[in-house]
Amino acid sequence: MVLACSEKINVDCMIAIKQKNEMQFVGRYIFLLIILLLFIGCSQHHVKPENDDFNSSPQVVDQNTPGTDPLQTDPETTNIAFQDNEEGSMNSGVDLDTADEDFDEFEDEFGDVVTTEVYDPLSGYNRFMTGFNDKLYFWVLKPVATGYSWVMPEFARQGIKNFFKNLYFPVRLVNNVLQLKFKNAGEETLRFATNTTIGLLGLWDPAKIWFGLEAHPEDFGQTFGVWGIGPGPHIVLPILGPSNLRDSIGLAPQWIYLNPVNNLSTVSGWAGFEAVEDLEKTETKLGILALERVNNTSLRLGEYENLKKDAIDFYPFLRDLYEQKRQKEIEE
Amino acid sequence: MRILLLSVIIALVMPQLTFADEAATVKKNAEQRINAVIDHIRDKSLDKKTRNAEIIVAIAPMFDFSQMAKLSMGKKNWSMMNPAQRQEFNQLFVIRLQESYLEKLDLYTDEDVVVDQAKLVKKRIHVRSHLVAKDDKIEMIYKFYKKKNQGWKVYDVVIMGVSIVQTYRSQFAGILKNESIEDLLKRLRQTGRFTVPAGKY
Repeated sequence: MVLACSEKINVDCMIAIKQKNEMQFVGRYIFLLIILLLFIGCSQHHVKPENDDFNSSPQVVDQNTPGTDPLQTDPETTNIAFQDNEEGSMNSGVDLDTADEDFDEFEDEFGDVVTTEVYDPLSGYNRFMTGFNDKLYFWVLKPVATGYSWVMPEFARQGIKNFFKNLYFPVRLVNNVLQLKFKNAGEETLRFATNTTIGLLGLWDPAKIWFGLEAHPEDFGQTFGVWGIGPGPHIVLPILGPSNLRDSIGLAPQWIYLNPVNNLSTVSGWAGFEAVEDLEKTETKLGILALERVNNTSLRLGEYENLKKDAIDFYPFLRDLYEQKRQKEIEE
Repeated sequence: MRILLLSVIIALVMPQLTFADEAATVKKNAEQRINAVIDHIRDKSLDKKTRNAEIIVAIAPMFDFSQMAKLSMGKKNWSMMNPAQRQEFNQLFVIRLQESYLEKLDLYTDEDVVVDQAKLVKKRIHVRSHLVAKDDKIEMIYKFYKKKNQGWKVYDVVIMGVSIVQTYRSQFAGILKNESIEDLLKRLRQTGRFTVPAGKY
């Protein structure tokens, strides 16, 4: 068409070019409209009820009566210790002595407490950074995410989460391949193709809902682990939270080559946006990553607080949680 | 001769069969108890206090909380405690576990729990279940051991690769490296009950 025009400008050709521009224009607006509709659609928002009355919950102590089926028993008749009463609170048949043949077997299973301790030369700094991140959560991230969750309906936030998840496709693909998980890599590719098209640029997840294709999250830290590289010392990163030397190094190629924001510029290029150059700026990238963080946090409000209450000593608790979880992810 | 051979085969196969049978029973029981908990959560007519008490009654016989307390302390540290300390530690720890469990249930919305398989691992039975959340699956493994005269009891729960017992073990070991058992009990007395408001801890 263009070639024909350069040879001889005629009216038909002018109309064709105009139509093409209009098509692009209309296409762009349809895209915008879809996104707007998705966001505006419903204005209800879910706020998790704050649970303050936990103090009033019963102090239930171990019920370990063998032979009785509790599903059948009337709660009135079983002796639940609502207070710390001496009688009946300590269940019968509890062996609190060391002389227990099972104990040695269990010790083997869990490993020696002294030797299994994580190698942690940076514990001083890590403790400080855990405190810093904690403050950051309660003073900045939580209030912002709470406000955000009031404005944004939950399904929109879920859509944005899916959208970002879809953008991490190259990271997952590359690492599945590097770990020789070709079937998973294939599934990831199918997922990306489906969700980017039918799934409206990843806002929605038909690959999982319709075709049962699950994501296979893999990152460079896991790949290094699969290759036999140990975790190294535990490092708590500012803002990002618990990590270790291996996983921190794994973040570098991800940031440089496979940054989701780079993919965002590609995807928005397909959608006909011209803001691609802006996306190359570091501040834009950081802004988008901040949005992702706020959005994801808004979907998990309350979980961190809940977790924190489980800890007796918060930093080693978080560290263990991270290292054990990573270990499992690498083994899979 | 044939009968002898047959009886040898039966003798060899039988224990395996009964063991597999036991695994199936353990799985069925676990499923029943977990479902009972879910029913309680979905039953909005109960007030929270009754609900929580009933949930504990439903789930407790499946667990050996005292064993979990012992394992979390580890043999070395456990043997350093006197009977009174053991008593108190056990009590504080059990309350803590139960309250932590009940608190987790408050985060639970409409997810489904699927108990998918029971596996024999050495002398233990691992019952694997999945919590199907909105966009991810949370894997939970209940580990059972056979307690004398009491049948199969849970001694550890592994949530997405994180063992509850292991996590307490290294926390306690870390604290006891620099502090005494009395100090640890003091900490547990403070943090054992959820009286601390979120955000100030």
